[in-house]
Amino acid sequence: MHEMSLVQALLAQLASLAAEHNKKRVITVTLDIGPLSGVVIDSFQFGFDILSAEDSLTKGAKLIIINPPATYQCIRCAYKQAALVRPDHCPKCNETLLIPEGGDTIILNQVEME
Amino acid sequence: MCDSCGCDLTDSHNHNHSHDTNSRVIEVHQSLLAANDAIAAENKAHFEAIGVVAINMISSPGSGKTTLLEKTIERLKGKIRIGVIEGDIETDRDAQRIRAKGVPVIQLTTGGACHLDAAQIHKGLHLLEKEPGGDKLDLLFIENVGNLVCPATFDLGEHQRVVLVSVPEGPDKPSKYPKAFISSQIFVITKTDLLPYFDFPVEEAKADALHLNPRLEVMALSATSGQGFEAWIDYLKKITSNKDSAIQMEG
Repeated sequence: MHEMSLVQALLAQLASLAAEHNKKRVITVTLDIGPLSGVVIDSFQFGFDILSAEDSLTKGAKLIIINPPATYQCIRCAYKQAALVRPDHCPKCNETLLIPEGGDTIILNQVEME
Repeated sequence: MCDSCGCDLTDSHNHNHSHDTNSRVIEVHQSLLAANDAIAAENKAHFEAIGVVAINMISSPGSGKTTLLEKTIERLKGKIRIGVIEGDIETDRDAQRIRAKGVPVIQLTTGGACHLDAAQIHKGLHLLEKEPGGDKLDLLFIENVGNLVCPATFDLGEHQRVVLVSVPEGPDKPSKYPKAFISSQIFVITKTDLLPYFDFPVEEAKADALHLNPRLEVMALSATSGQGFEAWIDYLKKITSNKDSAIQMEG
């Protein structure tokens, strides 16, 4: 349940953004969570619901999570494909060994505050 | 009616934008792990400044990480100066086992947290440097909290990440816990002396891991019987050898 640690990191970042921009309330938070990030989105949402309610800055804030695809490059023909779920093989040459690229990030993209 | 989009919805929770004109959207585009990654980068710079190669060991509880370290220390005594940072939720039992082998060791207890993070390693490294011999190391093992999920997300500043699976755990761990295998350089199958008693097709486990991460180097060994142990020792000698010659030249 390391999602709780990540939610704590998010809330710390929101608090410093609010101080920097002189805002009192967070309305929406938009995050990219990649399919290879090791984060269970439901657990992250659960952690956010619990911890965000403890602070007036984030109480009632809405979390929007976008799940961008990872890129898989074929080890044989170097063909790249984007996918949310790991493909079984390369569609060009049928090779099964594909190197994942990206898709492992957890990015805070936008915050709407007032 | 909403002034922004003209809709009739009054519940702002169904909107991507607020109905309050005082609100402002701030573009951030920063990783949630940015704070951890910044400390991890400092840790790495520190490892390099003191000439130590750091290995982060990740596995389920009971895969044999500590036993592998005990045997590794015995085998490399007098050849490679080893230090260990132990991570566990509670107790210093692992640190006691390593200390009995005569190398500097620090136990970090996370008090419930399921992984080590870069800030804990920063602290652990400074504590280790105060132990006898802890400031003159070639190789630092960081034994992460026994957990195949959470530790994979947190960079500690290590040079190499080693993921371990023991024969009794079964061969399906790479497929079930992909992140640990995608983010590691080395996959060690441990307790191969138990292969006659468990259904563990080694080649299948290797193929599954390589399917996830074709760059992974796979080893199969038993720390108890010594079978396959030389490949592990050769790997450790290889990653510390460049540094060794650099230290000899300085000396």
